[in-house]
Amino acid sequence: MANRTSTAQRPNGATQGRICQFKLVLLGESAVGKSSLVLRFVKGQFHEYQESTIGAAFLTQTVCLDDTTVKFEIWDTAGQERYHSLAPMYYRGAQAAIVVYDITNQDTFGRAKTWVKELQRQANPNIVIALAGNKQDLANKRMVEYEEAQAYADENGLLFMETSAKTAMNVNDIFLAIAKKLPKNEQTTGPGGSGQGRRLVEGDTGAKTAGNCCK
Amino acid sequence: MGELQQNLTQYCFSETSRMLLQHREMQFGAITFFAKEHKGETCGSNGLPLTPNSIIIFGRAQLLKTIKHPYLCEYLDIIRGKHERTIVVSQYCGEPLSHYLAKNELSIEDIKRIAHQILLGLNELHDRNIVHRNLSTDNVLLQENKDVKLFNYGLFYMTDHGKLVSFPILKTLYAAPEVYLDGLNNLSNSKADMWSLGIILTELVLDKPLWNTLKLSQCIRKILSLMHGTTSIFERIIREHNCYEKYQLLPPDLKQLIEDCLNILPKNRPTTKQLLERDIFKEFQNGKTNSKNKIYQTFDTFTLKELYYWWQLAGGDVFLELKKQGLIRSSPPVLSLPNMILIEGAVLGQERNPATLYEPRIVQMPLDTLYQRFAHIPLSSYYPLIHSKSEIIEKFEPPSYDASDLPLVIREKDPEYQFHRTILFRRLLHGYPFTRNRIIKEAQVDIPPLLRGEIWAALLNIANNYEKEYVEIDKQTSTITDRQIEVDIPRCHQYNELLSSGVGHQKLKRILKAWICKNSQYVYWQGLDSLTAPFLYLNFNNEAKAFACLSAFIPKYLHNFFLKDNSVIIQEYLAKFSQLIAFHDPVLANHLQNINFVPELFAIPWFLTMFSHVFPLHKIFHLWDKLLLGDSSFPLHVGLSILTQLRDTLLNSGFNECILLFSDLPEVDIEQCVCQSLETYNSTPKSITSRSHQNAENASELHITGITVQELNREKCSRISANDVVNLVRNFPHKIVIIDIRNPLQFSRCCVKGSVNIPCSSVTFGDANLDSFGVHSGLLKNAQNKIIIIVGTEETDLELFPKFLLQCNIPKVCVLHGGFNVLLPITPTVLITQNQI
Ligand SMILES: Nc1nc2c(ncn2[C@@H]2O[C@H](COP(=O)(O)OP(=O)(O)O)[C@@H](O)[C@H]2O)c(=O)[nH]1
Ligand SMILES: [Mg+2]
Repeated sequence: MANRTSTAQRPNGATQGRICQFKLVLLGESAVGKSSLVLRFVKGQFHEYQESTIGAAFLTQTVCLDDTTVKFEIWDTAGQERYHSLAPMYYRGAQAAIVVYDITNQDTFGRAKTWVKELQRQANPNIVIALAGNKQDLANKRMVEYEEAQAYADENGLLFMETSAKTAMNVNDIFLAIAKKLPKNEQTTGPGGSGQGRRLVEGDTGAKTAGNCCK
Repeated sequence: MGELQQNLTQYCFSETSRMLLQHREMQFGAITFFAKEHKGETCGSNGLPLTPNSIIIFGRAQLLKTIKHPYLCEYLDIIRGKHERTIVVSQYCGEPLSHYLAKNELSIEDIKRIAHQILLGLNELHDRNIVHRNLSTDNVLLQENKDVKLFNYGLFYMTDHGKLVSFPILKTLYAAPEVYLDGLNNLSNSKADMWSLGIILTELVLDKPLWNTLKLSQCIRKILSLMHGTTSIFERIIREHNCYEKYQLLPPDLKQLIEDCLNILPKNRPTTKQLLERDIFKEFQNGKTNSKNKIYQTFDTFTLKELYYWWQLAGGDVFLELKKQGLIRSSPPVLSLPNMILIEGAVLGQERNPATLYEPRIVQMPLDTLYQRFAHIPLSSYYPLIHSKSEIIEKFEPPSYDASDLPLVIREKDPEYQFHRTILFRRLLHGYPFTRNRIIKEAQVDIPPLLRGEIWAALLNIANNYEKEYVEIDKQTSTITDRQIEVDIPRCHQYNELLSSGVGHQKLKRILKAWICKNSQYVYWQGLDSLTAPFLYLNFNNEAKAFACLSAFIPKYLHNFFLKDNSVIIQEYLAKFSQLIAFHDPVLANHLQNINFVPELFAIPWFLTMFSHVFPLHKIFHLWDKLLLGDSSFPLHVGLSILTQLRDTLLNSGFNECILLFSDLPEVDIEQCVCQSLETYNSTPKSITSRSHQNAENASELHITGITVQELNREKCSRISANDVVNLVRNFPHKIVIIDIRNPLQFSRCCVKGSVNIPCSSVTFGDANLDSFGVHSGLLKNAQNKIIIIVGTEETDLELFPKFLLQCNIPKVCVLHGGFNVLLPITPTVLITQNQI
């Protein structure tokens, strides 16, 4: 696909510099709050009765980092172990992943570790992985210690934050931290792995982004 | 037999439709109260918000609707209002005993009869572990024939023994002493009702209200004072009221009965069963057959629930009536401001006035509007003809109420139309399974919402032994799937009151566990919860039936979808879906293909849950109404019709916009969707959508086998079976174009009647342009929605040609499965040979 340079016109008229497009995937045990984190990040909302995710859901959100506009293409996956076979379709070619666990449930932390291992083995070698200990608002029912998770993250070179989709704590921050850590000059791959769907995007702000990242 | 004859006579001579509709017992009223509000903590231990008590009550009260008993008022509806208000609608007919007593006297004979009937009513409740707790002369309703009906007997039960409300559920004077002593809420001993019965009977025999001059507190003190002393309580009450002469005149058996009920120790009071066996009631026992032993079910032309439903459709509004009667008063919002709000959100002050928590008044619902609306309906419409071989008889049927032109949503709101539909379907359901074909036929028109649960069960061919099967399944033992089920249930259609209630959660869990337990070859896939939800909603009081429906639905539409490894099944399904899109809408198919927008990315939740995960319940109902009449290929057409509705957007969008569109499915017009699905479903030859993994039981003739998923994915155009081709050639030659792509020599030797020879070798598959077909391009351009069947042989490339047509945006292209040679043995032949040309 042609490498095109583009400048995004923000609604307020300010001109941004480069536009980067990254594919990010959320993984983690069912009901740890993956969909809720995405919903909070993308729409600023929280639904107590968030519907479960079957297969996967796709959403996008743009964040601004200094002179760079980072557009996340977010794949929110189903958590149930059975849907595992679908997961590679979504993490293949992803530049970033957030592995989520629920701080009130030790098992989900174990499951998160398995996901990290799988990503390290199978995903894009340069993938940026963040670990999110979600439901921080329920800290009084905590089963996974902060220090334990932090130590694990350090060992494995992961970004780590405790988050709460309910109170919005650290939700934007974790995405921003990922955006900062992502290399801004490499090629990116579109969603669906193997270049699937990498098409010219007419953003509603009039921004034109190409499948390739930064110009 | 006697009853039947009586029915007939009534039908022919005496009854008029007015008498049917305006039957005295066919009346209802409402009461209202407030559920307890949660104070302070708003989240439960799982981090989810606490379920409002009114919703818990709503869920618990559903069971009460199933109670049908001659001496109990039937529960009809529970409605939730603002601020935890709960309205309970139930049958309400006759006159409270307390009113009657003020004006009339009852004979000893009447009193015995009343005692007997109250006992029968209570017995039914106690059998179901329901304690009335609120029994008094106010809620024993006396009918014109002096039968009684107990009213408001479910309040204590639905509020979980009063725990969900902050007012006491009792009537002073009638409440047993232990009710006052044991804290107000926790006691649920059925013996409390026996005491209340004792007090009621005392009032009846004395023919005066007890202690009616005392104030509330004095009254309670009086009751409690009865606990002291050892002599008969009954006798002491009598003496206090200076009625000893009356007491002495009482028949000993009645005296004994009251005496036993008014025993201070609950455990010493007799049970309903014990009392019912006493000689005092002997005279009432014979003559009446025990309804449980009847071999046939009695048939009601319509039920009170249906009348209530029609009343609502005709504009009846319980809320409004309560407002009119001043039971619901809205005060200016400024008056309900709290005194103080803490930063953490706790609200202080402005407690609700306790006097308004429970409103003892009952509001009778006026039925005049409905009566007027239905006044012109002739009696014969209440007894529609189901089956007749005689034209003469049929001629006398009143003309049917024609609403078929109206949109479905309007038909569902039309009281008169629903009247006719309900009456008809009730009859048909009564004759199920023998009437199943008629049910199917009528269901094709539409399904009356009130009977949807039963009609679905009939369409799914549920046999009548489902209850036994369900009871026998282990729904308790914990399994590894439990956690997943538990986290999914609070996310499953929770906007719905029934499904979000505690009872709803428990039921859903049991059904899911039962299904997993019974189908050991399958596993729980997320989505099974959504799939179960519509059945549970429609059969909320009949878990076994919900389970039976689910169990019949899955093999029919989702055969093997819940295997632990279901990937081939799903892949085949999705490949078929792609082919169906290409068959009907090549432009769209080509576009989606170009942007790599494959069904794997969006359609799995559609098909795995038959759309129950992507639509709200009311839409699922209309969709499944039609689905249940189709076979397992119908969902593919539904998927297609959704795409068609969003076609313009899809065609103008790239990958990201498309996938975003489906992550948050926009409003889909379900009626339009259903109509379009039916249209393509009916116009698509069956073999186009046949799958090797569909349930062999309902695949009538499976003629396409042995194709791998890889092949399917490669072949952009579907295959068509020889059977379908032969049928089309014979019966619908004007609807098809057969293109024979073999070489001219083969073609001239023998070919299908009416086919056209375009040898593969004669076409240059360059740009997608129909002109590549030379002289035949006109034929293809003018095919106008005809089915284009490509006929070749093993040697000819069977992929290139159809693919090229697809690229040229030609719809309805398919390839004869097995090639030309499969047609050779077919007799009578559809072929013509050289000498015939
Ligand atoms: N208290 C609390 N609940 C949360 C939080 N995030 C999600 N939830 C709840 O956890 C449940 C599962 O969330 P969901 O986003 O569906 O999880 P997913 O299966 O990982 O996508 C839902 O009921 C959410 O309301 C959080 O940060 N705090
Ligand atoms: Mg989710």
